[in-house]
Parts: sequence; structure tokens; C-alpha cells
Amino acid sequence: MNNQFVFEKKQKTTLGIFMLVGVVCMILSYLMDDGTLHMRFWSNYLTNTVYFLGIAFIITFVLHAKVLMYSGWHVAFQRVWEAFSLFLIVGIILMIPIIAGIWGHFHHLYHWADKAAVASDVVLKGKSSFLNPVWYTAGTLIIVGVWYFFFAKRFRNLSVQEDKEFDPNYTLHKKIKVNAGVFLPIAAFTSAALIWLWIMSVDAHWYSTLYAWYATASWWVGSLALTILTLIYLKSKGYLDIVTTEHLHDLGKYMFAFTIFWTYLWFSQYMLIWYANIGEETTYFHVRMRKFPVLFYGNLVLNFVLPFIILMRNDTKRKYGTLILTSIIVFVGHWFDFFQMVRPGTWLSEIEHANHAAHATHASHAAEHAAPVLSKWGYPEGFVNGVSIPGLLEIGILLGFVGLFFWFVFMQLEKASLVPKNNPYLEETEHHHVM
Amino acid sequence: MGHYVSPLRIPLIEGNKTYHDITNDICAPTERTPSALWVLGFAISVAFLALYVFIITWTIWKGIGSWNLNRTIGWGWDITNFVWWVGIGHAGTLISAILLLFRQRWRTGVNRAAEAMTIFAVICAGQFPIFHMGRVWLAFFVFPYPNTRGPLWLNFNSPLMWDVFALSTYFTVSLLFWYTGLVPDFATVRDRAKGLRWKIYNFLSFGWTGSAKHWQRWESLSLILAGLSTPLVLSVHTIVSFDFATSVIPGWHTTIFPPYFVAGAIFSGFAMVLTLMIIARKVLNLEQYITIEHIESMNKVILLTGSIVGVAYLTELFVAWYSGYIYEQFAFYNRVLGPYWWSYVGMMTCNVISPQFFWSKKIRRSIAWTFGLSIVVNIGMWFERFVIIATTLARDYLPSSWSYYTPSWVEVGMFLGSIGLFFTCFLIFTRVAPVVAIAEIKSILKVAGDQYIGPKAKKHDNH
Repeated sequence: MNNQFVFEKKQKTTLGIFMLVGVVCMILSYLMDDGTLHMRFWSNYLTNTVYFLGIAFIITFVLHAKVLMYSGWHVAFQRVWEAFSLFLIVGIILMIPIIAGIWGHFHHLYHWADKAAVASDVVLKGKSSFLNPVWYTAGTLIIVGVWYFFFAKRFRNLSVQEDKEFDPNYTLHKKIKVNAGVFLPIAAFTSAALIWLWIMSVDAHWYSTLYAWYATASWWVGSLALTILTLIYLKSKGYLDIVTTEHLHDLGKYMFAFTIFWTYLWFSQYMLIWYANIGEETTYFHVRMRKFPVLFYGNLVLNFVLPFIILMRNDTKRKYGTLILTSIIVFVGHWFDFFQMVRPGTWLSEIEHANHAAHATHASHAAEHAAPVLSKWGYPEGFVNGVSIPGLLEIGILLGFVGLFFWFVFMQLEKASLVPKNNPYLEETEHHHVM
Repeated sequence: MGHYVSPLRIPLIEGNKTYHDITNDICAPTERTPSALWVLGFAISVAFLALYVFIITWTIWKGIGSWNLNRTIGWGWDITNFVWWVGIGHAGTLISAILLLFRQRWRTGVNRAAEAMTIFAVICAGQFPIFHMGRVWLAFFVFPYPNTRGPLWLNFNSPLMWDVFALSTYFTVSLLFWYTGLVPDFATVRDRAKGLRWKIYNFLSFGWTGSAKHWQRWESLSLILAGLSTPLVLSVHTIVSFDFATSVIPGWHTTIFPPYFVAGAIFSGFAMVLTLMIIARKVLNLEQYITIEHIESMNKVILLTGSIVGVAYLTELFVAWYSGYIYEQFAFYNRVLGPYWWSYVGMMTCNVISPQFFWSKKIRRSIAWTFGLSIVVNIGMWFERFVIIATTLARDYLPSSWSYYTPSWVEVGMFLGSIGLFFTCFLIFTRVAPVVAIAEIKSILKVAGDQYIGPKAKKHDNH
């Protein structure tokens, strides 16, 4: 059994090329955008950063929850999840340019960061004690920092330490358990606050109480897909014999179940807003349905219709072919979901900014100038690359983030055995049977 | 499920039981004359049931005017009780369906009683909207069927209508699930019986012989019903939450309601399961099957769901402020500091603060604490529904119609009476059916019996 992962040169080259493609696409998106705000670049940067940071977060959360739940079956691939969870540190670094931009005003992702706009906007003024650079910065750095240093990193350290010597009292495991008890409530509260700051506030006027749970569910389903893909890849390289079809079957069931759960949350949020028909709320979906139909309906097709139909049968959760196919659909699908959450909002910010600028500079001819500004910056008509549908640049940037994520994950995998040797549930996971 | 069990797992069946012991122990309560304690409990329950019958008669005779509902507060104790009872039912479905999917072995000790509780709770829940209709003899109007009432057709856009479908489906599937599980156990009881008793249990067990074919069909039916029940756990309380959340009333219309209602339902359901099981295990001598380990697991579920509910309360409060929508802000200001502030305090204390005691392992494993807190949670979840319903309605958009509501003796009596109905059903159940699923307990003996795992295990048996 080969339990020591080696990060090969070939893999480094491939992932390096991915990252290179990503960087080139980011530069292109920065340059090709005809607006002055480089919104396409920033929007993509935020979408991907939040998606991968969120995957690292939710995996950290689940790792801790699993310990509290006396779960044994997942131990076979726990090391892969540990590696995912450590990506939180990269997430913090990736957030820094966004934070800097809020202070330095070199992007306009958040309408609430624009002081002039806030001054003339009662709603934004009301929210300004939460939606402000200080909260954003402190929230991001402190909260994600706590997640990483006190929990993800500590979990990993204790888990690796456990490998060294067998302890019949499982002291280290018990330490992890205590830590897990502390983490879950902290994670539940803080993640919601960050989701509001990072993505809900892109649509700065709009609000929905369910939003944080919806986004969290999206992270979780996406990370399950990524886990399946990673495991199948590692197995194809001759690693992780301990992970069998039984484990993949259970992961497939998880993906199926939480696909339905995600859809349940999607429906709950959409249906209640549609039914009550309050303008302040419906605007969110109205814009998406009318002006971003590919994002709106594509989201449902990728994240509900396809995985639901494919994974319904038993055997599709046990075959590599169908698992790989569905996992790719679902992984890209939830990235698409985050694109859908972010892009229409940043597009509107861009319009508002342009209008505002037009009004400010030509106050006397406001009416005259508003019209041309709107026609240039009006809603996207049809398919606009990078706005109402993700274009090639978006795919390239996603590829770049995938490259970065796996470069980091493979580095972490190399540092410890792929199997947590003295884990108290190891024997259970080795003999895991579903059918 | 293999026979490899982690050293961290704790036995779920104590007392070195054999398969025969299990049969004896669990069938025993149905075979002996009831204890004095049971008779006393039954007498009290039936007294309350009698009160219920009286109150219902009164309500029908006098009309809904005998309740203290008014023009502003059209829903009071009635719908509060309805949601409370529906919520309580959820634990049974969660245990039988979702914990089955998650392969939680401890469910086998409590699933039968929890499923029974579900059915009785749904029966109690159904009473309130039915009698709230006023002219209850026209209750069948809620069913869509070709009729001669001309254009008067059901309003399919109404979540109240969806409730009818959701609850009747829920009741049907839960009943089937529960009864399917009972079939082999009834056969076990039958095999030990003679005469008329044999005939009755033979009828109830559908002539079960225990052949391989029977077991195979039983297994596939159970699986199908588990598959059907899983979405039901979510859908029923989701639709109950729609009763409120589809409206445009601030404090009711909020998107977090569906999952938060479901979490709250499971929370209150587990509290009720604990209340019942702590008594039942003692009275029926089932302490070796419903162990401290089971109680601890359920307390963990309570801690988890209580905290989820807490996150939801705070999310609602925060987003009400964040929304910048003055009516929304006022609704929550009123909820916390308005005339019904005491019910908000009651809700927060009982639902969010009280379960936090379960962080302590000692308290989680203490029967007295668990029993006390389970009652507190039951009260808290009642308060939650009262807060949502009465507090919100008391302060609507027009200050001229602001009002205050206290229940009449009829409403209080109906609530107390419904508890009588519930306990009467439950106590009968403990006499006629095995309270713990015999077949399912047997299926985990080799991996959860204390002679196989844990400190008392005989070493040579342990892999």
C-alpha cells in the first residue's frame, strides 16, 4: 500500500500551466473590460476567492463535526480533507487585495464602500455601521484567521501527531473532540457574518435571512464534488487503496442528498420572495430572471436537474465514469452559483457608479446625460461574455484557481501519510460496507 | 455494517443479553397486568381526554366566539398548539428515516416509541385547524373533489391548503412506516400467546411466518418508506412555515423560516421523545435497551438543533436591522420589547440558553437534568410559536387595530385536553405493542451489545 504522496514534477508542470492560464486570463479580463472599474476582473477574483475559501471553510467545519458525530467511515480520506481545510490560509492572502481595494477605492465591488453613494442613500446609511471597511477587514482577517490557526491548523497538527505513536487512550483524538465542540458554534455564527459581508452585500440594498445557509450549502456540495474528483485522481495514481467503491458510494449519496438540500434552500428562498412579491426583495430575482437568464436557469440545471437525475440510480454512485461526470458538473455548477450570486450585483454597482459619475460631473445636464449613460451601461442584452454568461476568460480564471488550490493541496498531502495511522476509526473505515 | 467496531464506541445494549432475553424483556410489558403507576397515569390522561371531549363539544355548540380571538389576533393558542404538536412529531420521522440513512445505531432503541409519538402528535395537531374552521361539519370542504358549490373551489394558492396535503401525506406515510416495523414484532408477541390473544396478534401481524421471503419484502418496503419519509421530514414543517412566511407580515415573511422551522421541530420532537422515554424506560424496565448512551445522543441532537434555532433567531434579529425596512425593524423591536416581551424572554431562555447546559457531559448523562430540560424545551418551543403568532399579529400595520390577547378557558382547556389525548394514545400503545423494535435491536446486538464491545466485552469475541 502506497501511503506517501509524492508531488511529481509532471503534476507541478500541469498545475503551473493552469495557474499561468489563470493569470493570463485575469490580466486579459483586466485589460479587455471596457469600463473604467475593471469590474470583470474584480468580480471574477471575488467569486473564485470566496468559492475556494468557502470550500476550505466548510471542509474544516465538516471535519470537526464528523469527530463529534463519532463518524468513522470518512477516516479513509480524512487526510485529503485536512489538506483542503488548510487552504484557508491561502484564502486569507487572496482576500487582501479585495480588502485593500475597499480602502484604496481601486475597485468598486461594493457599492457601500463608496462614501458619496452612501451619503445620498438612506438604506446604505442605515447599514453603514455593519457594511464598512473596518468591519470587512477585521471580520475577514480575524475570523478566517481564527478558523485557520485555532482550528484547521490545530486539527491537522493533532491528527499528524497521532500517526507517530499509538496511544490506547486516544488522548489526541479527545483533544480534537474538545476543539470540535468549541469550533462548531463559532463557525456557525461567524461564517454567516462573512457571507453577508463578502457576497450578500454585493447587492447592498437587498437582504434575505436564508442567504448565509444557502451559500454554505453551495460550498458544501461543491466541496463534495471536489473530494470525489480528488479521490478518484489519487486512486488512479496508485494511492489510497483504502478508499473503496463503498466510500465513493457514500460520498455520492452525500452529493445526491445535499444537492436536494441545496435545491430545497434555493426553492425556499425563491418561492417565499416570489410569493410575497415585495419590491425590495423581488428585484434580486427579477434582475436575474429577466436579464441573466442563463445564470438563473443554468444554476438550476447544473446544480439540481442533472445531478438529481444522474445520481438517482444506485450504480451511478459506484462507477467512476458517472461519478466523475457528475462531480465535474456539480463542482463547476456551484462555482457557477457563486458567479450568479456575485456578477449581477457587481454589474448593477457598475451601472450605479456610472450614473452617479454622470450626474456628478454634468449636474446641470443630468437628464440629458443619463440616457446615453444608460444605453452604454444598461442591462446586458442577450449573451454578454463575462456578464450574463461566463466567458472563456472566466473558465480560464477558474482553471487558475483550481491550479492554485491543488498545488497547495498536493504540497500538504506530501507532508503526511495519506492514511491517519492511529485513528481510532481506522479499522472501521477499512471495512466500510454500504451494500 | 461489518463487525469491526471502533474502541471509542460505547455499548447500546447492556446486561449481556441474548436474543431470547431481548424477546422476553421487550414483550413483557404487553403480557403482564398493568402496574399501578400505569393505571394512575392512564386515569389522569383519560380525565384530560374527557376534558378535551367536553371542550370540543362546547366549542362546537357555542362556536369559535368562545375563544378569545379577536379581529386583529385571528390566530392564537389554536395555531400555536397546532404548530407545536406538528413539530413534536418530527423527531419520530427523523429517527426512523434520516438517522437510518446516517446509520446511527442508537436509533434502534428509540425509533418505535418515537414513531408512535409522531402519529399521536399529528393526530393532536390536526384537531386545532379542524376545530378552528368553526363549522366543523363542513370540514370535508378542504378536500378537492367535484362538488356542487359552483365557483367555490379550493384556493390552491394558499399554504393552508398545502398543509392539508402535507399533513395527510405525512400522517399516512408515518403510520405505514410505523406499522411495517411492527409487523414482525407483533408476530413475536403472537408466537408467545395463546387463544384470543394469539388470534388478535396473528391478525395484526398479517400472518407473518418469518420466512426469508417475508423478511426480504419487509426490508424492501422499509427502504421505500424510508426514502419517502426523508423528504417528508423537511417538507411538512417547511409547509407549516409557509403558512406564515408567504404572507407580507413583517416578522412572518422571512426566507429563513423553512429550514429554521424544521430545526425547531426536530428540537422540540427530541425533547418530547426524552420526556416520554425517560419515564417509559423506568416504568417498563427497559433501561438496558434505552441506555444513558441513548439519552446522551438525543441530548446532543437537542444541543445541536437548539443552537441552530438560536443562530436563526439572531439572524432574524440582525437582518431585521440590516434590511433598513422600518416595518421589519419595528416587528422585531416589538417582538423583543413589546407587550409580549415575556414570551420572547421565555422563548430565548428555554430554547437557546437552556440547551447550552448540554455542553457538559455530566448533565447530558444525568437523567434528572435531562428530564427537567426536556420539559423546559417543550415549553420553550411552545413559546416560540406563540411569539411568532400572537406577538406579530398584536401589532399590525394599523395602530388603531393594535390589540392584546389572552386565551379563554376554552382555549386553555383544549390545549390541556389535547395533551390528555396524546398520553391516552401513548399509554395504550405501551400496553399493546413492543415499545422497542425487537427485530431492529437484535440486528445490532453483535456490534453494540456490551458482551461484544466496550469495557465488559469478552475479549475473544471482539475483533
